[in-house]
Amino acid sequence: MDYVLKTNALCKNYKHFKALNGLSMSIPKGAIYGFVGKNGAGKTTLIRLICGLQAPTSGSYTLYDRESNDREITKSRRRMGAVVETPSVYLDMTAEDNLKQQYLILGLPSFDGLTDILKLVGLENTGKKKAKNFSLGMKQRLGIAVALVGDPDFLVLDEPINGLDPQGIIEIRELILKLNRERQITVLISSHILDELSRLATHYGFIDNGRMVKEMTAEELEAACRKCVRVEVSDTKALARVLDGMKIDYKILTDKTADVYAKVNVSHLAVALAKENCEIISMWEHDESLESYYISLVGNGGGRND
Amino acid sequence: MTKLLRAGFARLFKNKVFCLLSLFSIGYPLFLLLIQYGHPLQIDALIVSYGTMIGIVMSIFISLFLGTEYSDGAIRNKISVGHKRAHIYCSNLLVTAAASLYSYLLWIVEVVVVGIPMYGGITMPLSSLFLTLGVIFVAVFAYNAIYTMIAMTVSGKAVAAVVSIMLAFGLIMLALTWFDRLDEPQFLEEISVNEATDEVTITQTQEPNPSYLSGTKREIYETLLNINPAGQMYQLAGRAAPDHAMLVCYSLGLVAMFTAVGIVLFDKKDIK
Repeated sequence: MDYVLKTNALCKNYKHFKALNGLSMSIPKGAIYGFVGKNGAGKTTLIRLICGLQAPTSGSYTLYDRESNDREITKSRRRMGAVVETPSVYLDMTAEDNLKQQYLILGLPSFDGLTDILKLVGLENTGKKKAKNFSLGMKQRLGIAVALVGDPDFLVLDEPINGLDPQGIIEIRELILKLNRERQITVLISSHILDELSRLATHYGFIDNGRMVKEMTAEELEAACRKCVRVEVSDTKALARVLDGMKIDYKILTDKTADVYAKVNVSHLAVALAKENCEIISMWEHDESLESYYISLVGNGGGRND
Repeated sequence: MTKLLRAGFARLFKNKVFCLLSLFSIGYPLFLLLIQYGHPLQIDALIVSYGTMIGIVMSIFISLFLGTEYSDGAIRNKISVGHKRAHIYCSNLLVTAAASLYSYLLWIVEVVVVGIPMYGGITMPLSSLFLTLGVIFVAVFAYNAIYTMIAMTVSGKAVAAVVSIMLAFGLIMLALTWFDRLDEPQFLEEISVNEATDEVTITQTQEPNPSYLSGTKREIYETLLNINPAGQMYQLAGRAAPDHAMLVCYSLGLVAMFTAVGIVLFDKKDIK
């Protein structure tokens, strides 16, 4: 698999405080990577490091196969667009002037495509309105527009939906999906709003206290959070034989409990189990949400880093 | 770095603070010319006098212009798309230096175009005036290097502005203090007033002045005054500059030192 970004035991200390503590992660090419963690877990710190805004205390990362200590890493960064925390735009300039600035910074020979980017983010009709007079959502979209100048292959978005109204959230979500599907841009999106991420991400990385707790694909997460019926029986071996016979998907948890991934006819199941000398002790619907899965990963007691 | 310079100049020409700087560079000399009307005024002295206040003007301009890069977060765009920090620093130094030069040139044009018809021509030999202006421009570049270092290493726009402005006033105060100390007469003077004619007579006694600086101490004060860009400006405005080449060397030394330190600090800086 091709990876856009791989980090290897990245550490970042601010005096005695460890913002990143041996973080290792891999972002596959073409993915929308949801970077999940509490406030202060280290999400923004990682983004600052890969954008070159700060240097790691130890560890390294590779961006498009270039090591972080390689002098040529700047060439890999040219393939990146980023919105770190607040959108990086000149507030006393219009949307168009902000984009022109970025064209000049990148040294692009002309302003071709500027209008297309403005249209893509829905800011084509802002005219002479200064960015300081934009709504939060408009500023966020302008930040993304600036990051899109120069056709980046990798877009880094730090908490892009923070503070947005529902309409703004939908617009940003649609935009990210469009960029990923139509332009094949790999996206790293950090957020602590799990529900929103679950509508976008193809891959997840769960971070806590500066460490990667778990990386998984959306399919793996879906399986982990799948709705099921949790059954407590006297003998799970007998239950497995019965469910195999019924061709029902299940997962044995202990010698007494199992998760059954289907709506079963309780009478039929009870009769079938009785033939195997197995009793049903209890049954209940079990539904693990993304939030509860996350909590189960990082625990409730994890202290905040900031 | 050419890309950064192009972007920097494009931003400069759209910047409000730069518009205010231009207005000041045109408006203030005009104000001085008008209030002096009817009284004698040396045009060349007015041209050179901007050097004594440009330090304060540029401390405000540079801290606000470059401070916006941090306050609006735009500096992150430059770094995250792969520009080297040293290039970002040098491009900002050059853009602000060009703005300072532009401000001074506007001042000169204003004084020449409006002032000469009102007060007559330049009395100073043109070669001396150009030489003095050349030394002033290098000293202005030294001011730029100092304020750019502050603006690029202090993230807070307001903090950078306060530090720069205080430093600008501090350099002027120090220059004036050192200037006064060096100006002390070697021997005490006796002032006598003729009560009948009200005539004041100053006669030099043979009694040594205890405030007079001599030997190594005097050399240190003179060197400090020559290094300080404000000190250079006051000496040039008073046509008391000792050695133009030496002043240029000191200014270029300041530029090299502050730029080198600034680049190292900016390179190591954690940007948020």
